[in-house]
This record gives sequence, C-alpha cells and structure tokens, in this order.
Amino acid sequence: MNDNEKEEAANLKEEFEWVLREEVHAILHQLHTVLVECAHRFPVPLYGNEGQKQDKFILTSQPEQLKCILTLTGDSITHADISFKVLRQMHLMCRTSINQDGPWKLQQIQDAANHLQQAIGYIDNVDKHYVFRSSEEVLHIIQCLIGSLQRARTALVLPKKKAIDELMKSRNMKALSPNLPEDLAISFYIQSHKLIFVAYQLSSVHGTMRIDSCQADCAVPWLSDVLFMLTAALHMCQQLKDKLCVFSQYKDFTVGSRSASTVFN
Amino acid sequence: MTPRCLLVGHTAPVTCLSRASIIQDNNFIVSSSEAGEMCTWDLVDGKCRESVKLTQVHTNIQAYHMCNSEDLRLFCNGYYAEILIMDPFSLEILFSLSSKMNPDWISALHVLRPSSRKDDVVLAISITGTVKVWSLLGHENKQSEPIYENESKQIRCLNALSLNCCAYNQRTVLIVCAKYCQIYDAGDFSVLCSIQAPSGERWMSGDFLAPDRVLVWSTEGKGYLYKLPANKLRGRAINSSVPDHKGFHGPTVEHDSPVLYGILAHPDNKLLSCPPAMRFILTSVGGKQRRLLLRGDSAGVVLLWNVDDAAMPVPNKVMSRAPIVTTSLEMAWAEMSPSPVGILDQLSHPDEPEIKLTASIYLLAANRLVVGREDGSIIIVNATHTVQLQLLHGNHQQLDDWPPHQLLLGHNGRVNCLLYPHHVHHRYDRAYLVSGGIDFAVCLWDLFSGALLHRFCVHAGEITQLIVPPHNCSPRIQKCICAVASDHSVTLLSLTERKCVTLASRHLFPVVTIKWRPADDFMVVGCSDGTVYVWQMETGHLDRVLNGMIAEEVLAACDETSADELGGSISSGTDLQGLANPAVHFFRGLRHRNLTAMRAATQRGLAALHASERGSNAGPLAEPARARPPPLTIQGFRSNPADPESHILFFDIEGLIVELLSEEYSAMSPASLEAAGLITSEYMKVAALTQSASPDAAKKISGFLSYKIVNKIGVILRTLSWIDFFGRVKDKAGDMERLLKEKDKHGILAKMKEGAENMQTKIQAKADQLKSQLDAKGKWDGR
Repeated sequence: MNDNEKEEAANLKEEFEWVLREEVHAILHQLHTVLVECAHRFPVPLYGNEGQKQDKFILTSQPEQLKCILTLTGDSITHADISFKVLRQMHLMCRTSINQDGPWKLQQIQDAANHLQQAIGYIDNVDKHYVFRSSEEVLHIIQCLIGSLQRARTALVLPKKKAIDELMKSRNMKALSPNLPEDLAISFYIQSHKLIFVAYQLSSVHGTMRIDSCQADCAVPWLSDVLFMLTAALHMCQQLKDKLCVFSQYKDFTVGSRSASTVFN
Repeated sequence: MTPRCLLVGHTAPVTCLSRASIIQDNNFIVSSSEAGEMCTWDLVDGKCRESVKLTQVHTNIQAYHMCNSEDLRLFCNGYYAEILIMDPFSLEILFSLSSKMNPDWISALHVLRPSSRKDDVVLAISITGTVKVWSLLGHENKQSEPIYENESKQIRCLNALSLNCCAYNQRTVLIVCAKYCQIYDAGDFSVLCSIQAPSGERWMSGDFLAPDRVLVWSTEGKGYLYKLPANKLRGRAINSSVPDHKGFHGPTVEHDSPVLYGILAHPDNKLLSCPPAMRFILTSVGGKQRRLLLRGDSAGVVLLWNVDDAAMPVPNKVMSRAPIVTTSLEMAWAEMSPSPVGILDQLSHPDEPEIKLTASIYLLAANRLVVGREDGSIIIVNATHTVQLQLLHGNHQQLDDWPPHQLLLGHNGRVNCLLYPHHVHHRYDRAYLVSGGIDFAVCLWDLFSGALLHRFCVHAGEITQLIVPPHNCSPRIQKCICAVASDHSVTLLSLTERKCVTLASRHLFPVVTIKWRPADDFMVVGCSDGTVYVWQMETGHLDRVLNGMIAEEVLAACDETSADELGGSISSGTDLQGLANPAVHFFRGLRHRNLTAMRAATQRGLAALHASERGSNAGPLAEPARARPPPLTIQGFRSNPADPESHILFFDIEGLIVELLSEEYSAMSPASLEAAGLITSEYMKVAALTQSASPDAAKKISGFLSYKIVNKIGVILRTLSWIDFFGRVKDKAGDMERLLKEKDKHGILAKMKEGAENMQTKIQAKADQLKSQLDAKGKWDGR
C-alpha cells in the first residue's frame, strides 16, 4: 500500500466512524418520525393513536351490477347494505347486509398495522445514546426493519388468495344477514389503496364447476398515505444499508480499531 | 458437543425450531422460516423428510403431547390471528383455534395439562394484551366449527415475548416483555410481582425453576436467577400461602420484590451483531434430570450453563456462574485432525496467510475448475487432478507443482462471480470466460491463452451476478451477457463489440430477479420491494415501471411465454398447434384451483408426448434422448456470504457405469457387435430397460451420493465413503444384472453377460486398486 492509499483508507475509516456515531442515529430518528406518522394514519389503535375512526364508502359497478354502501370502523366493516344481480337470472336481485353483531374483519389492515408496530419497536429498542461498534449491528437492525416494512406493505398490496370453499366457510360469510344461498359468495379485500368488493356465483356447466364474479372498488384515502410512507421508509432503510455496505469491503473496520492517537488528534 | 449436520433448504431466515418426535433422543426436528416454509428434518442423514409452504408465518412453535394422540402436536403462533395445530411429520394443519374477543396476533402461548384434569389447556396472550384460554378435548379436527376461547381477559401487557406456566405450582404464570417480566396469578391474572430488565438490556424469555424461583435471560446473552417473595405467591405448593393473605394484592414494597441471587454469564463479551438465541432445556443423563441453559450467538459460539448448580440461593450474595461448555464452529473445525482439505490446498503455503476462495465454476467439457479468489486472482486447474491430489494418496503427492495451473490476474480485489457462457449456449465463443469483481469491473478472458481481452467498467458497485440472456433475443443481444451490480444496476455487455449495449440503472432497490421477453425485446427486472422495471434491450429505454399485483402478473407472464417456447416443439405438427404448452395450462389451472383446466392440460400433454414418441422412433442405434449427467460435477458452496467457498463433489455412479460400458462397446468392431447379436431390436429393449430403471435408480444413487466431500469433512469419513462408493458400484452392477435376468426372455442376456462380466472385472480391478490405496492410507492414519 502506498501513502495515498493509506491516507484514503484512513479517511474512509474516519468517515465510517462518523456514519456509525452520527448518521445512523439521525436516520433512525427520521425513520421513527415517518413511521409514527404512518401509524397515526391507521384507523386502529396503534402507537399512541386513539384509533377507531369511521369512514363511509359506496361501491358500485357499471351497469348497476352490484351496489354496496358500507361503514368501515377501524379494521372492520361494521355496517353494509349489499345488493347485486344474480348473473344468469338478470331480474333477480340478491340482498344481504352486515351489521354490528357480525362485523366483516379486514385482516389485512390488522396485519399491516402489527408489522408496522413491530418495525417501530425495532427503532425504539435502540437507545439514543448507544454507540454502535460495527456495521453488522446496524445492518441487522436495518434488515429487521426492512423485513417488517416489506411485510406491512405486502399485506396491503398483495391480498392473500383464498379458495372459494374456504371463503364460503369463513366466519365473515356466516355473519351475513340474511345468509346468502349456497351458490353465492361475497368478499371484501384491500389491494393497494383500494377497497374491493367481489360477488361470486358458482354454477355447474356440464358437470364442471364454474365461477363467475363481478366486482366494484373505491379508493380509501388513508391507504394511499400509508403506502406512500411505508415506501419512503423502505427507501430510507435501503439507502442506509447501501451506505454501510460500501464500508463492508474493509472487514477490519470496527470502532476502536484505529489506534488511540489517530482517534483523538 | 460436536456439530453433526448442516441442514440446507430454507430460502429465508429461520424463525423457529422445534422437536418433532415424542421419543426423548429423537432425530427429527421441524424448522420454520420467514417465508412460511416449514421443513421436517431427519438428523441422521440431514435430509428433509417433509416440507410445506404456508401463507401463515410462524414466530414460535411449542411441541406438545396432547391427550388422545400418539405423536406430538405443534402449537404454532405468528403473523396471523389464530393458533395453528400441526402434525410434525405430515406438516398438515390439523385444526386451528380462533378468538372471539379482540382477535389479534398471538404473541406467546403455553400448552399444559392441569393436574387433576384430563384435557389440555392452551393459554395464550395476544400482542395487544388479551389473555385467552382454550380447553381441548382431543377430538378437534379441521371440519369442526371454529374453536373459540373459553375465557379471555384484557391485561396491561403489550407485545409479550413469552408466557410460561409454572410446572411446580400451576397457580402462577410468568410473562416476559422486553422491558420487564411479570408473575401473574393464573386464576384472575393479577400481577403478583415484576422484574425490571437490567439497564441497557432487554429481556428475551424465561421460565420457572421452582415454585418460587425463575430464570430469565436477556438480549446480552446472560441468564438471571431470581427468588420470588413467598408472601406474594399463591397455590398449594407454597407453604406460607393462605387463600386470603393480605399481601396478595398489596403494592409491591421493598422487601417483597424478587431478589437476584445468581447470574449465568460468559466472561469474554465479544461484540455480536445481534442478540444470541437462548433456550432453557431439560435433559436426562443416566436417569438423572438436568436443567440447562443453552446459548448460540452470531459468531457461531455455543455456551451451556448447568442451571441446577446455580439453583440454590445463597443469602445476600449474587453468585456468577460460568458456562460448563464453551465451544464454537470455529473450534470444531480447528480441532479436526487431520484438518480438512481445500480444493486448491496445493497453492497455499504454510507460512503465508490463506487466500480465500470466493467463486468457482466447473467447466465440464474441458474438465477444468476455475476458481476466483479474494486477492483478485483467478486460478484454472485440471479438476480431476486437483481432486486426486487432495483426496487420494499416491506418488503424485510427492510431485512439485503438480497439477499445473493457469493464473489470470486482472481484478483488483475479490472475484465475486464467474461465468462460462459457452456452457449455457453454444452461440458464445468457446474461449470466453467472464468474471465480475468487487472492483466494479467485468473482465472478459481468453480461457486458452489466459489473456485479458477486455475490462468493462460501467457499473458503480461491485458485480454480484452474471447471467446469459435467452437464445431467441435479437442477434445483437445474443452476443451479450447480463451483469448485475450492488448499485442496483443491470447491464447488457456485448462480448464481441466489447462495449455496454444497455445500462439499466434507475432501480431504487436491489435487483432480485431478471426475466426476459425476447419477442418484445424486453428485459424485466424485479426488485426487492416488489417493483418491476421493463426495459427495452436494444435501445436501453425504460418502457414502464410496475407495482403490486400487476408487477406480480407480469413476472409470472414472462415464465409462461418462455415455457410456451420450450413447449412449442412438442405440439408442433399436430392438431394442437396454436395452443400453449400444456404444462403452462396445468400450472395456471393449479394456481386458479381449476380442476377441469388441469385435467384438460394433462390429457393434452400426454397426447403430445405420445405423438413425439412415435415421431422419434428412429433406428436401433439412436442415442437415448436424455443426456446423461456427467460422472463428476463440482459445486461451490458456502453457508454464509462472508465465508470462503467450500466445494461439493458429486459423483454419478450410474453415469460412470454407462460411460465405461459405452467405452467397452465402442472398442468392439461392428462385426463383433453383430456377432454378439447386439444390433437388433433386442438391443433396443435392453436400452429401454436401463432407461426405465434409471429415474428410480437415479434417486437412490443421489441419496447416498449427496454425502458431501466438502473440503471440510474429515479424511476418515471420506475413506469410508470411498469404500462405500465402490462397494455400491459393485452392488449396482449386480442389481442391473438381476434386473436384466428377470425381464429377459429371449436369451439375450447370455450374449450381454460376457460384456457385463468384462465390465465388472474392470470395476473390480479399479475398486481393488483403490482399496489397497486406502488401506495403505488407513495404516498411515493409524487405524
């Protein structure tokens, strides 16, 4: 190693120590602010947020195939008036409702909120005065954070697919009043910033099962905010991770690995 | 304590482990990962017995022997609102427990059988602090109505980490949270006493040692032993306790708070990257029960404390106990004698620091092993020679500088990846070897002359991956290879033009998948956040950026089109033309759970197969359609991205037999072949026979062949395997003979036998030769 390279390595090391000492805490603090703000957009009790906000939505599809007026309280649809046309009997309207006693729970909201809370927990666990001594320590925290944030985002963006018989047996379906006939099913789920309502109809054509569906959706304002903030937070994590990875090629970089005289002069 | 096996198979971090068998010294465990994968492992041979992928991700599993069942049941909780009860061997969900009151994720659970009762009780706490109790009768199943909790109560305890009932006094429950752990009364869930975590530490979990003593452990990897104030506890096991004692619900005063009396610590506190994993275990050694605290950390160090030694409190004194066992993976490797060999050990000198191997590929046709190293050098060596040098004893070991190697110098720092494009498709020049390094450069080498042909410096991060684009891209792209770097950029580098054709570098997150749509000139880049970027390959134009469901669908569609092209050859020339590959339809059907579509696709696929079989029924000497796997392959392997590479040698014995046989026959003249009656329809029959026997046989072979001659396995083991290896080759030949005898009714065997015997003596000779070599070595090893 010539003198120039030595000087460069020394400078890099100093920079690395600065990142661990100052930058990591600053970014974690910033992340915390973003995530708490995100938590406050959730309509459920979460991280000092009182929760249980109520929203009303109307979902219709053209041409008047189905209509649903619903109230979303927290993570559950507490009230809904549902009517849709049965496909092969166009004149027949099917009506049902959701009421207070048997709310339709949107598990996706609770899952996303819990993952978010876990992410905030990882930051809360780091003492503000803690001195990081290696990049592995920070990378581990960042990796946990990225994992939780990604799961939170995925919970909202990619709804889990369910088999039709699973849906028909579900607690939500059984709580409808009046109950739907056996060949009909409905479902509510979230996909990105939208709340989606689907009506399914099972029929038997030449002995094979056929499923027809029609759907309607509406935008949920707080969901776009939440998704935006989750993405922003994920990006901040990734940037910090990339920053630390630059130093990872110098394996012997840990705080205190420099001799004392160079640290304090 | 010695390491026994390395279980490889999960694609995401493992979140929890559990035993699977009811027998104490069982050899089965269940693991579960963050991606929802679950595996049951056989620890005897390290094989995965069963695996499943669930949509639910577990964070904790308790194995419990329920009444009315012969096996253990796994009680799982995780990122979902139920408790799942699974069978450890079939990995089926047997039934689930649901909540009526405040359904939420379960953060901890404990299953127990209360004394004087026959049913099992599940006690659980949700992350928002609702304690729930389910009673199980043992006849629950999947079809039964949802099973709701019998009781539930809201307590002030968020995000609990563990919940344990006292095995000695079932009136008390220990709930551990990060900042404090609390003892609750099991009857009404009132707090009896609470223990704060030491400053700078967080609790992880804990358990009871006695009715009035608990062990809790912290993120620093230390165990703390506390004595609980007797006047606070209740239950028959506590002598001083009377049902309506005054102190029960009174405020905690100084003298009746828990007393710390022992610490299980480790004198040398090395810096760890994350809190260690710890577990309290009960084992019986020689009929005597022992209670141990086990800890494993990120440096591969395992510690074991004997809790019983420390269990008796000494008044007014805090005893610190050292672990009874301290070991680590590093120590285990170091203790091996003779120390395990590396594939390029001949190049390392004892007085120089070892240069780590960081990437490798095996060039099959040339029988060359190309290895990239940490210092930027690339070594090319004859593969069988270097294997021979490390594994077999003989005169060749005395030779200096044998086998000769080629050295390529061009990278400044670690070589991350290697690619030999000709292997993937013959359109590439036979001489081209491509390497990517930590110095942001992609180097193009002439394999034969060893010359550095070009250095591509287009990326702004270390090169992580090199890929070959599909063969049906445009002519210009066909001459390119694709490089991925840690700055999230992807390039298409033309090997003939010696320049970068496309630089795709707008990705905010690391690139995880690259797919192709050659017909549309699209390269589809999937990033770790689920975003998909669609690039035009020729122009380098970013066509669109996709998110969410559409992104998933576009990625899936890429697979379908590429499969369609593969399937095109099968369906062409028949009435099925125009329809996509049946396999694609099959999987589409599977995805949408459409049984009819699946059935139709299967029928179509079978029809197509029959058609192609009829078409390809050419002359008796037609080569078997399936290409044989090579007799030797060398696979690089590492258990940790920071570790140097180890190598696994795979020997295909059946391939070896076939190769020897064909060698034998190729030596015979056509006349002698005909005289032996081998070029007849009967020959085809034999060929068909050996063919049909192979899938099953191949499976068997791969079973014992997957033993790993990693360069870190002891010599003794290897010696045994070699003997085993040739023993089995003989068996195999015998098997083959029997099989032929059974099925042969035309007397062809007699003619074949001569050849087979010839072959057998050949193998026998080889085996004997090896055995004598090994025997000699055995003596040398002192065995």
